[in-house]
Amino acid sequence: MAGQKRALAFFLAAAVVFFLLDIGTGFFGRLLAPAGLTGVAARGAVAVVLALILTGNIALLRLLPFWPQVIVVWLQLLLLFLAFFASFDLSYDFILTRIGFLITQGAFTTVYISLAAIALASAIALLGALARLSKNGFAYAIAGFYISFFRGTPLLLQVYLIYLGLPQLGFVVSAVPSGIAALALCYGAYMAEIFRAGIQAVPRGQSEAGTALGLKPSLILRKIILPQAIKIIVPPTGNQFIAMLKDSSLVSVMGVWELMFLARTQGRAEFKNLEMLITAALIYWILSAVFETIQSRIEHHYRKADVR
Amino acid sequence: MTLRMKVMTGLLASALLVPFAAQAGETLDRVMSTKVLTMSSDPAYPPQSFLNDKNEMAGFDVDVGREIAKRMDAELKIITPAWEIITAGKWGGRWDMSVGSMTPTTERANVLDFPAVYYYTPASFAVHKDSKVSSIADLNGKKIGVCGGCTYEAYLKKDLVIDAEGVPAFDYQVTAGEMRLYETDTHAFDDLRLGDGTRLDAILSALPTIQEAIKNGYAMKVVGDPVYYEPLAVAVDKGDAEFSAKIAEIVKAMHADGTLSKISQTWYGADLSTVK
Repeated sequence: MAGQKRALAFFLAAAVVFFLLDIGTGFFGRLLAPAGLTGVAARGAVAVVLALILTGNIALLRLLPFWPQVIVVWLQLLLLFLAFFASFDLSYDFILTRIGFLITQGAFTTVYISLAAIALASAIALLGALARLSKNGFAYAIAGFYISFFRGTPLLLQVYLIYLGLPQLGFVVSAVPSGIAALALCYGAYMAEIFRAGIQAVPRGQSEAGTALGLKPSLILRKIILPQAIKIIVPPTGNQFIAMLKDSSLVSVMGVWELMFLARTQGRAEFKNLEMLITAALIYWILSAVFETIQSRIEHHYRKADVR
Repeated sequence: MTLRMKVMTGLLASALLVPFAAQAGETLDRVMSTKVLTMSSDPAYPPQSFLNDKNEMAGFDVDVGREIAKRMDAELKIITPAWEIITAGKWGGRWDMSVGSMTPTTERANVLDFPAVYYYTPASFAVHKDSKVSSIADLNGKKIGVCGGCTYEAYLKKDLVIDAEGVPAFDYQVTAGEMRLYETDTHAFDDLRLGDGTRLDAILSALPTIQEAIKNGYAMKVVGDPVYYEPLAVAVDKGDAEFSAKIAEIVKAMHADGTLSKISQTWYGADLSTVK
């Protein structure tokens, strides 16, 4: 009984919201046109129909077990999303003629810049974290200064500083290396803090036990501390990688023909901006999904020790 | 100070103090020996320069650049850094010239050299197709969109200085009610096409760009005659007088033999190489 009351309240609320927002009168209005309704009556009818569909859909979904429910909701959201894009009235022929170059040139450049930057950033982060944990005042100060500056300024500004600033000192670095350096330095700073926290999270007793066994500090770090720190480090690091994939779009200001650059420029000649932007959004999304999968694989691998 | 520290500070200081400027003749020597002339160009500014359907750079500016390279007996290479990176100057030899429809303003002349004006763009106002605006006088007090840092912004702020030869005098005919700045002109067009007054009442931009947008289905119309003509020049880095002289000589020849008029006819359907 309570469930029915709730459903009715939900239905009414949805109908009112749809009516006020005037959603769907275009598409559903045409479907309902034969009923001969116009103006407010048509808007009301559309709102009632939409609310019925929504309430009925939720009622049906409640009957499903967990995983089918998840899959169906995903598919429905995806369909809504596609319908949203379709409503823009895009030129698909235009997308088809450009998408090849967008992937072979744009997505390829984005991926290789990101991968190079990720590898460099990981190395920088490990060094930064160790320096932050060291008792050497010199190393501690350099790492602290570096992390503070690169976390404290916008990545776009760092890109400009490296690309425009270094030539003033006589080092003319071209666009792609500048971009990789900026991304690696910026993300290295964030990841250094993640690594530091991960290393510190390993209980003190672990290194003390290593010392008691007479192991050298470097061996304790490599064989005892890092393997335990990694499983704490992996999830936030994966997050950083996904963020970097998208932030790599900032190197387009230097004229690197990566995904975002082409998305912004390919449609300009024919004044078709949305086509390429939406296509690029989907490509970024797919790339991120691949990164997510890799991350969960790595996570799974390092969690083996926890399985009983 | 230990000796090592002294040496290090000395090195650091000299690295910071020696200004990085192209030596005289350096750019010209490089172009002549490598047979490659590198030009920076905007990939999103049709029909001046844009990425065409074969994913190659094309447009009026690109053809002019190609012709200059041909006359230097060099191959043209195009790179596409952002506008503010080009106008920042101190290119460090990354590229040799910018044929990018740049107006030679006094501020820009502090960091760049402008050896030659190659054409003139009429600047015009445009409104949405449904707008009731019918003359330039109607635009007073309206919400007008322009690209930030362009001469159009300077015109609306009434501090536009154009000191190039052969440019007709102009006066400020419009006082905008509100000025909206955009990264590039076409973003302003996108906002105007949403509807009359939805986000903008009018835009001020290059007439050829407006016409190109209208041709591509943008619901806009041009208001009145052009409000001013801006000269557009080839820009080069400071410090190589011989290279500047060479560019000036080539562009002068291209004006004289009608090459520029011909390229202009191809892309604009009108001769913009001189002021009417």
